Amino acid sequence: MNMQDQQDTYLTALAGRLRAHGLSADRVEATVADLTAHLEESGAKDPEAEFGPVEEFARQLAPEAATPDGPPEEHVETWRWTADTGVDEELLNRFGDQGWEVERVDAVGRFVSHRDLARPQRWEYRRELITRGREDLAPDGWEVCGTWVIYAWFKRPKAASLGPAAEIAAPPPAPERTNFLSRKFYALLASLGAAVALGGIAAGLDDGDASSGLDFAAGLLAGACVPFGLIVAGGCCSPAVTADRTYAATYVWRLYT
Amino acid sequence: MTDRRASWFKGVLDLLVLASLTGGESYGYEIAKLLGAAGFGQIKGGTLYPVLNRLEEAGLVAAEFRAAEKGPGRRYYRLTDAGRETLGEQGGLWLAFDTSVRELLAQAGVEPTR
Repeated sequence: MNMQDQQDTYLTALAGRLRAHGLSADRVEATVADLTAHLEESGAKDPEAEFGPVEEFARQLAPEAATPDGPPEEHVETWRWTADTGVDEELLNRFGDQGWEVERVDAVGRFVSHRDLARPQRWEYRRELITRGREDLAPDGWEVCGTWVIYAWFKRPKAASLGPAAEIAAPPPAPERTNFLSRKFYALLASLGAAVALGGIAAGLDDGDASSGLDFAAGLLAGACVPFGLIVAGGCCSPAVTADRTYAATYVWRLYT
Repeated sequence: MTDRRASWFKGVLDLLVLASLTGGESYGYEIAKLLGAAGFGQIKGGTLYPVLNRLEEAGLVAAEFRAAEKGPGRRYYRLTDAGRETLGEQGGLWLAFDTSVRELLAQAGVEPTR
């Protein structure tokens, strides 16, 4: 990336974050112009070296009242949920419109989301293969909010395009559900089970010994059951626990879709 | 031993910025240059602009954005009456503090590092 692109990327991302922090469009425009002039006059080549990381700098430039040291804990809701790649983008955007900002994908593949109840903002999302560099999307204000094996999820505050209209006046309550696996996902599970059974039958017919086919199928099923067993294991289910158990199945689904 | 100048500088940067505006309005990079020329080294934008914002929020400086004929515009800052008053009060306290430190260090035989 050349110097100009680097500066554009940084300042575009900064503008998005400033809007998300509640600065008016005029103020954001003036700030970005001022900082652009600073870079030009000082000859600073790397905006991050001059101003620091985007998020930190945006927080420092935001009004004191908006983000003193981050919002008070009692004003922030956190919700962890999971979905397969058949429905994730649609759901991410639906919940993004309800003010949920994904901060990361956790170790068990859940979207860890939070919502600032004091000033909930709309977010939009997209999923790309991880091989697509951040540099491709950063100029348009997208930033990575999580990665998982081969996928990367990007988020962008709608304040970047809507301005103050991106703030939500009355956000709906947090969803009680945390598992959003699609019918396609369960169909895949059924297909995998059928494939294992057919493999066993074929193995049995091949050597004329039905027991070897059963052994083969049993072996495959046992292996397959390790991840899927996690889904059905356990008794009492808090929503978060349910989400944990869906992880293994989601893992397989994402690898094969 | 740790070089404490960076933390001293941060503690007094708001006063230095107010002081730099007593000669008239100025903008971010020009203030950074002025402080650099005064011997404080290169001031990064990431250090200076948040201070300017805080001073503006506190009503100690007033800012006005002016578009430029060529290139991007700039925000120009000027001291407000409240800023001038704060500079007088807080600057005086700093000088008194500085005097006490100097006297004690001089008694201990400490001399400025060249």
